[in-house]
Amino acid sequence: MGVAVIVGTRKGAAILTSKDRTDWRMDFRLQGWPVTASCRDEQERTYIAVNSPNFGVAIFVSDDLENWRQLASAPRYRPEDRGNPEHHRLVAQMDFEGKLKGGGRFVDQIWTLHVAHGAIWAGVSEAGLFVSRDRGESWQPVDGFNEQPGRENWFPGFGGLGLHTILTDAKNPDRMWVGISAAGFYRTDDGGETWARKDDAVHSFGGNCVHHVAHDPENASVLFRQEHFGVYRSDNGGDTWRVLEDGLPVTEMSDGHRCSFGFPMVHDRKSGATFAVPLDGDNFRFPRDGQLAVYRTKDGETWHSLSRGLPPNCFAGVLRGSMAGDQLAPGGLYFGTTAGTMYASPDLGESWSEIAAGLPRILSVEAYAD
Amino acid sequence: MAIRLQLPPALRSVMGGERWVSATGATIGEALHDLSTRHPPLGLHFFDERDAIRRNLVFVHSGALIRAREAASYRLRDGDELILTNALAGG
Repeated sequence: MGVAVIVGTRKGAAILTSKDRTDWRMDFRLQGWPVTASCRDEQERTYIAVNSPNFGVAIFVSDDLENWRQLASAPRYRPEDRGNPEHHRLVAQMDFEGKLKGGGRFVDQIWTLHVAHGAIWAGVSEAGLFVSRDRGESWQPVDGFNEQPGRENWFPGFGGLGLHTILTDAKNPDRMWVGISAAGFYRTDDGGETWARKDDAVHSFGGNCVHHVAHDPENASVLFRQEHFGVYRSDNGGDTWRVLEDGLPVTEMSDGHRCSFGFPMVHDRKSGATFAVPLDGDNFRFPRDGQLAVYRTKDGETWHSLSRGLPPNCFAGVLRGSMAGDQLAPGGLYFGTTAGTMYASPDLGESWSEIAAGLPRILSVEAYAD
Repeated sequence: MAIRLQLPPALRSVMGGERWVSATGATIGEALHDLSTRHPPLGLHFFDERDAIRRNLVFVHSGALIRAREAASYRLRDGDELILTNALAGG
């Protein structure tokens, strides 16, 4: 029942370990590096992605969570690749010398790492997809996705043009999905050669700001989606979507649309339950009236609030990558706030406890059962 | 030219905790390329996709600040010591 939780923060990785999911030990590694994503491969190697406005993007690996080494390679665009002007405009606040305005395309963050079918996939900003088939020693761009016509017109979310969600089908290696803020949700059925938008009937303001999507890779076509404008479900791999907000708090958004707003979406494979953390709309981005609560749907239709052990005075947010499940039975859930507090539940969200506090802003959370 | 470069704390973790590294090159750009060849993980932090020195890197040489745009061609002498830091940000 041992679990390791990799908490990526603005200033390093908090590595929380527990043998019983009750008592936790913490190490703080890779100090000084913003930690934006992590994954673990089939041979139990853990990968941590870091980025820095000064020193760029890199990946560290460890086989024991104590000794870390940086890989010599990381996802990188080609020198001749052309960038997206709107993404440049957003990241230019850190561009002290105006160089990005020269039109290049640069990897400025790894948003997600995903292990499937013997490969590691990386979703990055400026939005793109990369794959490594040699445990991160080399990375190849997925040109079928990255070089789609029209990418120069993709519109970024506030955090930039980031590819933050990668989903795969355990039974079909040719099918996968990716989500980009705010260029929408895409699916390939031919191993990444061609891609199609899958945003039908999802409320949009022009682009589709998908926040996160979760599923069971063994039942891959049932998708649970947290969009900027609401929560949706698809039963056909994203071909069609319907609103799934029964029981969720709904609020008025900045454009007047009423829906449930939030970022993470996590699926527990053994129970079939799905979890979200609603926030009070895109104007406030903290829990309504400060009551932090996780919402769960067991039947995939109706949501219920779970707040036992969570604080009534939380005015922080929970970012899209900052919640994860350990996939044990019963499922353990873990999430962290932008105020640097980590919460854990050993019982599918029925009860929660604080397992770390005083951390820097939490950017990413992944959980691994030993 | 043989020179020495002091790494900032974040990059020392890439080099097993080493504070100073040795390099050869007639310019800062050449010295960084030499280091990148011998220590590829460092190269990711020195150069972007277009092989330009990352824009926020700053070097201190004999008390003078050298910004990224000047560093590639900034000439070095044998025995020089450089401090690698980054542009100040924040308040």
